[in-house]
Amino acid sequence: MKKYSKFIPLLCGILILFTFLMADTFIVKVRTTNLRIEPKFYAKTLVFLQNGEKLEKIGARDGWLKVKTTKGIEGWIHLSAVEEKKFSLTAINQPLKTQATAGEVALAAKAFDKNVEEAYMKKHPQISFAQVDKMLKIKISPAQMKIFLKRGKLGEFGREK
Amino acid sequence: MNRRHLSIACVLLFCFVFFMDDCAVAEKGTGILYKARDVAKSNINKAIIKSFADITEEEEYYIGRAVAANILSKYSVYNNQAVTQYINYVGNSVVFYSERPEIYAGYHFLILDVEEVNAFAAPGGFVFITKGLLKRCQDEEMLACVLAHEVGHICANHGLKSIKKSHLTEAFRLIGMQAVKKYGTQELTKLTGIFENVLGDIMKTLVERGYDRKYEYEADKLAVRIAVNTGYSPSGLKDFLETMVDDSSDVSGKGWFKTHPKANDRIARVKNEISNIKTTPLKDSVRTKRFLQSIKTIQ
Repeated sequence: MKKYSKFIPLLCGILILFTFLMADTFIVKVRTTNLRIEPKFYAKTLVFLQNGEKLEKIGARDGWLKVKTTKGIEGWIHLSAVEEKKFSLTAINQPLKTQATAGEVALAAKAFDKNVEEAYMKKHPQISFAQVDKMLKIKISPAQMKIFLKRGKLGEFGREK
Repeated sequence: MNRRHLSIACVLLFCFVFFMDDCAVAEKGTGILYKARDVAKSNINKAIIKSFADITEEEEYYIGRAVAANILSKYSVYNNQAVTQYINYVGNSVVFYSERPEIYAGYHFLILDVEEVNAFAAPGGFVFITKGLLKRCQDEEMLACVLAHEVGHICANHGLKSIKKSHLTEAFRLIGMQAVKKYGTQELTKLTGIFENVLGDIMKTLVERGYDRKYEYEADKLAVRIAVNTGYSPSGLKDFLETMVDDSSDVSGKGWFKTHPKANDRIARVKNEISNIKTTPLKDSVRTKRFLQSIKTIQ
């Protein structure tokens, strides 16, 4: 046992280092979003990101994160589109199967999803989802939004009064 | 440290990295962010204790879709593409400067074809305003502030908070027991029943009873902040509420008064909130002009 005791500080060091590394990993929690060239919603899109994509944080500014994708593309994403990759040091001594958080359980089992919606639709044929799908098709591009804000003197285009 | 120690350290590091990467798995493309393996009973109990905060973005979206479908089964859509596009521009402008600009499938705004003055915000970013409300607005500031109020309800999860805890507990218990296995027909039937109850809770709050006063005041407070951050005059909210004071006409009385606190109470609070802000943007004629231009086709 004494032989291995010299590794304890080393292992502790690795744990601490890894905790820091994990804190910088984020996951896209919205269905799709854009990785932008600058921290503005109307900024040019570098690449589209999908739900579940892993991102590495390399900077932050006013509610925005500068991140790097797994393909090495760097850009900006708003904090509300991501969640930090969770990791618990206390879980290390426990078997893997006890590590799920309530949120993870909910996600794994998917309480309310497409299946439940379909079952609900069958049960309530008078409730139409067609208009909802139509509503979801309303799209405004970042470039159009920029023009709207600029013409209306809104956001950074507004004047100090 | 000699070479042997270094080798052992490297093996330990490798094992640790491999182990940790397995702890929180992000499965791209499947819609599952974290894959729970088998969940011990103690964790299921923890899951049951938690409430609306455990509803994921995706689940909120499916709840919101169904709430929106229910609203649209009660009201017809006002089909005017230009005006709908315009309210989506204004709506998304305030969304950009809110506390939750990104939501699972984005924010969408729709006009309901009814003269009644009312607005609803379903979870997941579905916002509805009535034609009567739009007619009541006199400029873009008023419209933006009303939309900011609705976006505020979504940001603060007021819709989800109206779900009875017992219904969520039931859902979490059921899915907790089925954590890894895909649920079967029996579980699906049970979940659909719980889903109906959840929708019932939200619809009752949104359409019949209205939010708690404290949530309405909170949404007003958020609306003032969002408006200022966007560059709109927050007085737009006060101006709109003033049009509702002592209005006992059928069109406004039908929905608004049933689901909202008295306008005078809200005006006093809004004024107070505005007075706490050092510099506030002023109304701009450019915006009023485009508002009048945009809504001129409304009948």
